[in-house]
Amino acid sequence: MNETMRLEQLFDAFATLADTLVAGYDVLDLLQLLVENCRDLLDVDSAGILLENAAGRLEVVASTSEANTLVEMMQLDADAGPCLECFHTRAIVSVPDIDVDPSRWPDFCATALAQGIHSVYAIPLRLRETTIGTLNLMRNDRGELNQRDIRAAQALADVATIGILQERTVRDASTLRDQLQHALSSRIIIEQAKGVVAETANVSIEAAFALIREHARSNQTALRLVAQQLVTRDLRF
Amino acid sequence: MSNDPFQVASDALTHSAGQISDLARPFVRFLPVSGASISTFGSFLGAETISATDARAGRVDELQFDLGEGPCWDAVLNRRPVLEPDLSAGISASWPAFLEAIQHEGIGAIFAFPLLFGPLEIGAVDLYSVAPVSLSVEQQRQTLALSAIVSRILLRNAITNDDTPGETTTFSRRLIHQATGMVLAQLGTTPEDAHLIIRARAYAENRSMLDVAQDIIERRIRFTALPESGEGTS
Repeated sequence: MNETMRLEQLFDAFATLADTLVAGYDVLDLLQLLVENCRDLLDVDSAGILLENAAGRLEVVASTSEANTLVEMMQLDADAGPCLECFHTRAIVSVPDIDVDPSRWPDFCATALAQGIHSVYAIPLRLRETTIGTLNLMRNDRGELNQRDIRAAQALADVATIGILQERTVRDASTLRDQLQHALSSRIIIEQAKGVVAETANVSIEAAFALIREHARSNQTALRLVAQQLVTRDLRF
Repeated sequence: MSNDPFQVASDALTHSAGQISDLARPFVRFLPVSGASISTFGSFLGAETISATDARAGRVDELQFDLGEGPCWDAVLNRRPVLEPDLSAGISASWPAFLEAIQHEGIGAIFAFPLLFGPLEIGAVDLYSVAPVSLSVEQQRQTLALSAIVSRILLRNAITNDDTPGETTTFSRRLIHQATGMVLAQLGTTPEDAHLIIRARAYAENRSMLDVAQDIIERRIRFTALPESGEGTS
């Protein structure tokens, strides 16, 4: 991809993100868009987002691949890994080569390496004193992510975070925690919908999510809504 | 509160709050029968009479366990009600030992409704009347509806009294939700019931829910929708 095209796409990504925020959105869809933007525009192979749940623990809420192996890896990261450190320090944590010190977070490192992931970056989702979760970028190559991509990722994450926090002030009734918990609870029905489609279309769980995502996108419907209809069998693939 | 006897019975069951020994009583409130008993048996729970409205109802239940034959066995085996409105008129079923054993009990009619939950066999409801009596199609339908409520209560009760290995990680929950989706599609049921079926399977096999969920996702376990119990033969 040449530089001009890349800048244009990045510009589009910000514009889409901004449009979404202006038009009203579902937090989950916003975060899904964010991870897909990172994968498509930055020099990374996969991306995911973890939010703090009501119990104060980080939980995977969106990822570019719904392969259970990737999600499991990120969840291990949430218990002991770069993204937990990022969440606590509220600063970017960069691990350019997991192989250098795999004993630092043994479970996370072993799972990442088993999937061919060699470098990871955790970027905080924060606005002033509030941190709501982390954006995780994963690469199959070793080495530092270039500074420009890191800045772009942080900027995308900031826009999404501002959007989420902004909506809270618009809708005073729900606290930030309620809103984030709602996004995490939506995961339950999305996981169920993945199972429904895996069964009825006879595809893998990962492929099932791709079908659901595609349907939501082409019908401009929230993922959660599509998932809901699949689970009640009002919608069938 | 409604005055409709069926609705009253249904409400009583729904709000029974785990009083397992009271589960048989609502059936005699709206059906023209003298007594009712509920027993668990089959592939899933141990054989036991768990509720009976009177001593005779309890004996009818116990006899069937002792003899290994009778209406409750047939109801579960065939997944549909057994209806014998007049025992003196000769019956279609073949339970020579059972009929001989109850001949001094003074029973005119006997009915059995299966307790099923998806593919699981939970047990049966036995109903008897001193005088010959028929159940209308509507009464059969209502009895099946109440039986479904009883099945759920019994299943939940069995599972929640048990300490199945805990599932605490967010990742394992995710897999269980995916498996729940697959099971609900396989059986055409609700997420709540599909989840309960996975729990029941884990309970029955003394495994963790995560284990069972993984088998479902990898398609090593599959649940098949069985025919719903319909109207009985009489």
